Amino acid sequence: MSEITLTAKTDRETGTRATRRLRREGLIPAVVYGHGMDPVAIAVNGPDLRVALNGEAGLNQLIELNADGKSYLVLAKVLQRHPVRGTLQHVDFQITSRDETVTVEVPITVVGDAVEVRHAGGAVDQQVYTISVSARPGNIPTNIDVDISHLQPGDIFRVADLVLPDGVVAAGEPETAVAIAHGARAAEAEGGEGAEAAESAEA
Amino acid sequence: MLMPRRVRHRKQQRGRMSGQAKGGTEVTFGDFGIQALEPGWITARQIEAARIAMTRHVKRGGKVWIRVFPDKPVTKKPAETRMGSGKGNPELWVAVVKPGRIMFELAGVDQALAKAAMERAIQKLPIRAKFVVRPGSHGTPEVQL
Repeated sequence: MSEITLTAKTDRETGTRATRRLRREGLIPAVVYGHGMDPVAIAVNGPDLRVALNGEAGLNQLIELNADGKSYLVLAKVLQRHPVRGTLQHVDFQITSRDETVTVEVPITVVGDAVEVRHAGGAVDQQVYTISVSARPGNIPTNIDVDISHLQPGDIFRVADLVLPDGVVAAGEPETAVAIAHGARAAEAEGGEGAEAAESAEA
Repeated sequence: MLMPRRVRHRKQQRGRMSGQAKGGTEVTFGDFGIQALEPGWITARQIEAARIAMTRHVKRGGKVWIRVFPDKPVTKKPAETRMGSGKGNPELWVAVVKPGRIMFELAGVDQALAKAAMERAIQKLPIRAKFVVRPGSHGTPEVQL
């Protein structure tokens, strides 16, 4: 994975009003920490950060942060969003290195058509949308595909069943369900419950 | 309708609804959500009406999550009663919702159907609300400015 270079301003004021001023100027307040160094309050250019984190690697994009003449290899660890607007408010950058293992969240995509489940009148229910994996920064996958085409009604696809690339290890519980194939009875029961509740509400 | 099985105190004070939601502001379980844009009390009846509107529009295949729970009792005095003589009787249960709160989530349907279903559900609610998509899914960017 190639890194994206961002330039950061290190002499930012902290506090509510100063931070709001920064945001009005199109900057995003952030903090850099890790590898035993004291945390440094920085500000990065909003549009540049948006381009960096909306790329193919998503939030796991490796970023080279140039701040005050120093260069840090970082990953965005925590993103704070506005509760209503959903806009980016603050970012935590964690310093990493190419040869250390990091634990990150990688999105899961369900691919394929569960023909057997569909013919049985059931449906496949995705339980989790991201999975925690440990890997070196250069090996972090952009996405993990879950092939559900072989699932039978009643089957559960677990974290242990995931096919992960070399150098990537699942960090969570191996028994965690990723996708569950419900049979027709379960689907009907859910529908029946809803219909029953609907009738009682109408009565 | 949703209501607590057991409560420690039958009657509560009304409280304030200042500020924005502190948690539950991101679509976590499904792909789509209904986000509150105003503070308000959502009654158990309104939650149920919204759920029914959504599930009926989706017909089958979708999964709905209700992310708010009506755990606050609201009392009312009987009609044509003189003031005084203590607080009224608990009549309904409400969920206190602040702006930003994701109230419902939906998964297992395409975006157009989800939007149509959730807009029907929004009509059943007493506050302004909007349809939201989980960042990073269905072409929605992870980061917005």
